[in-house]
Amino acid sequence: MIELAVFLPLAGGLIAGIFGVRMGDRAAQLVTVIPMLIAAILSSYLLWHVGIQGNERTIELFTWIDSGTLELSWALRVDTLTAVMMFVVNVVSSMVHVYSVGYMSHDPHKPRFMAYLSLFTFFMLALVTADNFVQMFFGWEGVGLMSYLLIGFWSGRPSANAAAIKAFVVNRVGDFGFMLGIFGVFFAFGTLDFDTVFAAVPEVAGRTFSFLSMELDIVTTLCFLLFIGAMGKSAQIGLHTWLPDAMEGPTPVSALIHAATMVTAGVFMVVRLSPMFEFAPIALTFIVFIGGSTAFFAATIGLTQFDIKRVIAYSTCSQLGYMFFAVGVGAYPAAIFHLMTHAFFKALLFLGAGSVIHGMDDEQDMRKMGGLFSKMKVTASLMWIGSLALAGVPFFAGFWSKDVILESAFAAHTGMGLYAFWAGIAAALMTAFYSWRLLFLTFHGRTRADDHTFDHAHESPPVMILPLVVLALGAIFSGWLAADYFVGHHLDEFWRSSILMTHNIIEEAHHVPKWVKFLPIVVGAVGIVLAWVMYIAKPGWPAKFVAMVRPIHSFVFNKWFFDELYDRIFVRPSFVLGRGLWKSGDGAVIDGVGPDGIAAAAKDIAGRASRMQSGFVYHYAFAMLIGLVLLASWFLFGFFG
Amino acid sequence: MVIQALAFYLFAALAVASGVMVISARNPVHSVLFLILAFFNAAGLFVLIGAEFLAMILVVVYVGAVAVLFLFVVMMLDINFAELREGFLQYLPIGALIGLILAAELILIFGTWIVAPDVGQALTAPILPPDQVTNTHALGRIIYTDYIYLFQASGLILLIAMIGAIVLTLRHRPGVRRQKIADQVSRRPEDVIEVRDVTTGSGV
Amino acid sequence: MNIAVDISAIWPELFMAVAAMVMLMYGAFRGEGATRFVTWAGVLVLVVAALLVLAGPAGKTTAFNGQFVVDAFAVFAKVLLIAGAALALILAQPYNMREDIKQFEYPILIVFAVLGMMMMVSANDLLSLYVGLELQSLALYVVAAIRRDNLRSSEAGLKYFVLGALSSGILLYGMSLIYGFAGTTSFDGLAAAFATDSDAPVGVIVGLVFIAAGLAFKVSAVPFHMWTPDVYEGAPTPVTAFFAVAPKIAAMALFVRVMLEPFGDLVAEWQQVIWFISLASMILGSFAAIVQTNIKRLMAYSSIGHMGFVLVGLAAGNETGVQGILLYLTIYVFMNIGTFACILAMRRQGRMVEDIDQLAGLSKTNPYLAAALAVFMFSMAGIPPLAGFFAKFYVFLAAIEAGLYVLTVVGLLTSVVGAYYYLRIVKLMYFDEPAEAFDRAPGREITVIVTVTGLITMFFFIGLAPVLDGAEAAAAVLF
Repeated sequence: MIELAVFLPLAGGLIAGIFGVRMGDRAAQLVTVIPMLIAAILSSYLLWHVGIQGNERTIELFTWIDSGTLELSWALRVDTLTAVMMFVVNVVSSMVHVYSVGYMSHDPHKPRFMAYLSLFTFFMLALVTADNFVQMFFGWEGVGLMSYLLIGFWSGRPSANAAAIKAFVVNRVGDFGFMLGIFGVFFAFGTLDFDTVFAAVPEVAGRTFSFLSMELDIVTTLCFLLFIGAMGKSAQIGLHTWLPDAMEGPTPVSALIHAATMVTAGVFMVVRLSPMFEFAPIALTFIVFIGGSTAFFAATIGLTQFDIKRVIAYSTCSQLGYMFFAVGVGAYPAAIFHLMTHAFFKALLFLGAGSVIHGMDDEQDMRKMGGLFSKMKVTASLMWIGSLALAGVPFFAGFWSKDVILESAFAAHTGMGLYAFWAGIAAALMTAFYSWRLLFLTFHGRTRADDHTFDHAHESPPVMILPLVVLALGAIFSGWLAADYFVGHHLDEFWRSSILMTHNIIEEAHHVPKWVKFLPIVVGAVGIVLAWVMYIAKPGWPAKFVAMVRPIHSFVFNKWFFDELYDRIFVRPSFVLGRGLWKSGDGAVIDGVGPDGIAAAAKDIAGRASRMQSGFVYHYAFAMLIGLVLLASWFLFGFFG
Repeated sequence: MVIQALAFYLFAALAVASGVMVISARNPVHSVLFLILAFFNAAGLFVLIGAEFLAMILVVVYVGAVAVLFLFVVMMLDINFAELREGFLQYLPIGALIGLILAAELILIFGTWIVAPDVGQALTAPILPPDQVTNTHALGRIIYTDYIYLFQASGLILLIAMIGAIVLTLRHRPGVRRQKIADQVSRRPEDVIEVRDVTTGSGV
Repeated sequence: MNIAVDISAIWPELFMAVAAMVMLMYGAFRGEGATRFVTWAGVLVLVVAALLVLAGPAGKTTAFNGQFVVDAFAVFAKVLLIAGAALALILAQPYNMREDIKQFEYPILIVFAVLGMMMMVSANDLLSLYVGLELQSLALYVVAAIRRDNLRSSEAGLKYFVLGALSSGILLYGMSLIYGFAGTTSFDGLAAAFATDSDAPVGVIVGLVFIAAGLAFKVSAVPFHMWTPDVYEGAPTPVTAFFAVAPKIAAMALFVRVMLEPFGDLVAEWQQVIWFISLASMILGSFAAIVQTNIKRLMAYSSIGHMGFVLVGLAAGNETGVQGILLYLTIYVFMNIGTFACILAMRRQGRMVEDIDQLAGLSKTNPYLAAALAVFMFSMAGIPPLAGFFAKFYVFLAAIEAGLYVLTVVGLLTSVVGAYYYLRIVKLMYFDEPAEAFDRAPGREITVIVTVTGLITMFFFIGLAPVLDGAEAAAAVLF
C-alpha cells in the first residue's frame, strides 16, 4: 500500500511523459489524475493507520549504493511524520491535478504539464519517505528539478525562463550547504542512515573538529550546514528571492510546489532531523532568528504588492518563517501542524487566485480588478474562507496552528523566543491586513477593470471549483480535527519516536498568560478592520499614507532591495568573472594549449605518418626490414648486454 | 674428405659469387645465366650431402624449366633494366647498413650455437638408413604417407597459382582466328569445294 | 596413424577443396555465365563447411602425425572467419555484377583462400603453418588484382605479392632458425623442447622474432603494415571487405596459437615484441587515419589500429587476453562487414564514390544508411553500449591483469584519437550540408547485410554472455 502511494504518481508521470503526445490530452490527464486520487485516498488511510493506530514501519526495497563503507538501501520509512507529509502531499497534489485539467485547458502541452506534476509528486514522496540522507537528497534535487521545469513551463516567456534559472541557482546555494552537511554527517558518523546517525548523535554531541584553526562543534556545524539547505528550499530571508519570481509558473504549480509542498521540505527536513538539531542549541537559536525575521520581513513586502499571486507568495514566505521559528524553539509538532493547515489554506488561496486569473483573461494585477464578487461568488467565498484561515480567525484551521506557534515562542522564555513572538505578532497583524486588502481589491468595491474584461469575467468550471471546495473543507476543519493529536493531549502517542523533543514546550505553551493567547486574535481583527477602512470606507487613504512614508514604502515595495543587492554583489561580478575566464582562461589558455594544441599536434603527427606511405614498394620493403632488424637487435642486445 | 671439402668450398664460393652477379650484372640475360650457374652449384652442394634426388630435381625443374622461362621472358619483354635500377645506388648505403647489421647478428647467433638438448630425440629419423634405400625411394615412401597432408596442400597451392595465372592473363580477344582442330578434321570436301565445269575460254 | 581419425578431423577442409574444384570444373565448362551460380554455390560451400566445422570431433584432435589439430580454439576461429568470408562474398555479388567483374574464379579463389586460412588456424606444425599461409596468400594476391584492367587493382595485387613474398621469406628464415636450433618443426615438439629448458638459445629467440615479423605482416601490424593502405585502396571494395576480416582473423588466430603453444614458455621473450608492435600499431593506426580522405584508406588504418588493440590481448599472454582477442575478432567481423556494406552503397550515377567528404549530409538524403554507418562508427570508436566497447573492454581488462599499464594507457589514449576520425564521419553525415544523393537501391544483399550487422552491433550486449563463454572455452585450450 505504501509502495502504491509512492509509486503510482511515478507510473502516471512516466506514462504521460513518454506516451503523452501519442495518447492524447484526455488520456494523459486520466493516467495522471486517477493514480493521484488513488494515492491520496491511500495516504489518508495511512495517516489513520500509522498515526493514530501506530503502525510504523520501514520497507526496504533494494540496496541502492554499496561502495566501500557507504552502504545505502532504498527504503520507505513511514512513521507519523512521514504519514502526515504523505497525506498533505498526496491530497493537495491530487486536488491540483484535478484543478489543472480545467486551468490548463487552453494549453497545447497538457500531457507534459501533467507528467511534470506527477513526477514532482513522486520526488516529493521520495523525499518524505527517505530513510537516509542520500535518498532525501535524491528527492530534494528531484523536486528542485521539477520546480525548475514547471516554473519555466511556458518557455516562450523570457521572464519565465529567467525565473526558472533564478530558482534553480538560488536553490543550488542552499543545496551546497545541504551537500556539505551530508558529507559532514558521513565524515562524522560513518553512515548516512537516519536511525544509526540519530542513535550516535548523543555521543558525538559536544565533540569538536578543527577547521582553519577554529575549533568547531561538530553537531552544531552540521546542523548549520543542513539548515542552509532548508533555507534555500523554504525561501527563508536571504535565500528567498526566487520564490516571488517563481510565480511565473502556471498557478497550479504555485499552489502545489510553492505553497503546499516543496517549500515546506526545509521545515520537514529540520523536523525529521530533530534528533540532531536538539543537540545543537546554537543552530536552533539561529533558526528562530531567521524564522522570525522572515515572518516579519515577508509580511511587510506583502503589504505593498499589487500582483495577486505575489501577495500570496510573500505570505507563504512569511508563514514559512512561522514554521521555522516554531522549529527553532523546539515546537516541532506545532511546525508540522502549521505546515499541514497552511498547505490547505494556501493551496486554496493560490487556486482561488488562479480561478480569478482564469476568469479575468490572465490578469494578475489587483489594481485592475475589484467588484468581482458578483461575477464569481463561489470563488470569492472560498477565498474568504482561505483568508480567514490564514489570518488565524478563531476556529478556522490557521487559528489552531498559528496560536500554538506563537504561544510556544513566548513559552520558550528566551530572548530570541520573545523576538520571534513579537515579530510573529506583527506579522499576524500584517497578514490579516494584506489578506483583506487582497479580498477587497479583488472582489469588492467598484471595479477598475475595463468593461470588456469585466463583462467577460466568469466563474470557473466545476472541475476547478471542486478541488477548491475540498481544500476549503481542509482550511475550515483540519485545525479543529487535528489539534488534539498534533499539539494536544494525544501528542505523545501520536508522534511517538518520529520527533524528538528534549522538553515538551507544547505543554508549556498551554500555560502561557491569557493575553498571549488573545493577542493574535486581536491583532488579526485589527488588521481586518484596518483593511476595511483603507480599501472600502476611505479608498483615498492608502495613497496619502504611502506619500507620507515614501522612503519606507519604496524600500518595502522594492522588496528591501534584495534583488538589486544580489545583482550588484553576486550576479554582475560573476558575469564579469565568467566572461573573463571564458575568453582568456578557457579560450586562450586551455583551448589553446589543451584541445586545440593537442589536436594540432595530432594532425601534424598524422600528416607525417601518412607521408611515410610513399607508394613505392621498396620503401615498404625497407620499412619492414628495418623494423625486423630493430626487433632482432633489441633482443640480441637484451641477450648479450 | 679433402676432396669433398675442396668441392664444397668450390661450389659454395661459386654459388655466392654467381648470386652476387645475378643482381649486379648489367645485362639481364647475363643475370639469368648467372642464376642458372647458381642453381648448378646448389645442386652440386646437394650432391655433396648425399641428396642426389634434390640435386637432380633442382637441375631439371629450376634450370630446365624456370630459368629457361625467365630467359625467354627477359628476352621477349622490352624492359630497360638499367633504367629500372637507377634508384638502386641511392638506397645502397642504408640497404648495406641493414644487411651488415643483420649479418653481424646472425654471426653472433651462430657463434653461440647451442642446440636444444632434446634435439636428438626429436630427430627420430622417419626414413630407413641410407644404405638400405636410395633417397629417391625414401622420399617417395614418406611423401605419400607421413606428409600426405603437406604434399596435397602444396598441390593446392600450385592449383591456385595456375588459376591465378589464367585469371590475370588469359584474354579472349575478339577477331583472333584460332586453330580449331575439330572443325578442321570434320570438314568435308563437299562443304568447301565446289567443282564446276568451266567451258574453255569463257572464264569463271 | 589412423586414417579414419585424420579424415574426420579434416572433413571440412576436404569438403571445401573438393567442392571448390567441382565449382572450378563447372565454371570452366560453362564460362562467364556461371559466375552468379558459382558465387552462390561458394556461399553455400562456406556455410556447409561451417556446419561441418561445428559438427567436428569434440575436444582436441590431432591428425597427420600431429601436423593438423582441431580444438575449440580452431573451431571458434574457423566459424568466425567463414562467417566473415561468406558475408564478404555475398556483398561482392551485386558489386561484381555492376562493375563487370565476370570471372567465375573469384568465388572459387575466395573459397580456396578460406581453405588456406582454415589450414592456418589448424596448423600444428611449422610446415603446415607455412603451407596454409601460402595457400591463402596466393589466392589473396590474385583476388586483389582481379580487376586486371584497372591500374590500381593490378598495382595493389603486385605490391601485395612482392611484399608478401618478402614476409614469407622472413617467416621461412625464422622457421629454419627454429628448426636448426630445436631440431623439430612440430608445435608439440617445440613446446616440449622449451618446457625443459628455461634459457632458450638465442637462435631460437631470433627465429621467433622473424616468425613474429612474418605473421605481423599478415595481420598488418606496424612496422609491417605498409602494404595495407595501398592494397585496401587499390583492390575492388568487396575484396577489401574480405581482406579486412577473414585473413585478419586467420592470421591473428595463428599468431596466438604460435605464440602460446610452441613458444608458450618463452612468454617473457616474445611479450616485448608483441608489446612493441601493438603499441606502434595503435598509435599509427589512430594518428595516420586522421588525415585520410579516402574511406577505404581510412578503413585500412582503422584495421591497423584494431589489430593493435587485438595484439594488446596477445601481449597480455593470459587466458583473459585470448578470450578478449576472440571476442574482439567476433565483433570486428560484424562492424567491418557492416561498414564495408555501407561503403559499397556509396554509388553515384553508377560509379563508386570513395571520398569521405561525399558522405556529407547523408542523414538527409539517405537516413537509413547514415544511421547504420553512424552505429558502426560509434561502435568502432568503442562507445558503450555498442559492441565495440566490449571488444576493447575485455582486451584492456586482460592487459591490466597482466600488469601492462603503459600499453593500456596508450591504448585508451589512442582510442580517443581514433574516436576523432570515426566521429568526424558521423559529424559529416549529420551536420554538414548535403552533397548530391547516392544512387537508390544499393542492392538487396547490401541492405540485408547492413541491417543484420547493424542490429548485431547495436544489441551485441544481449548475446554477450554466450560469445564470452565460447571464447573462454576456446581460450582455455591454449593454456
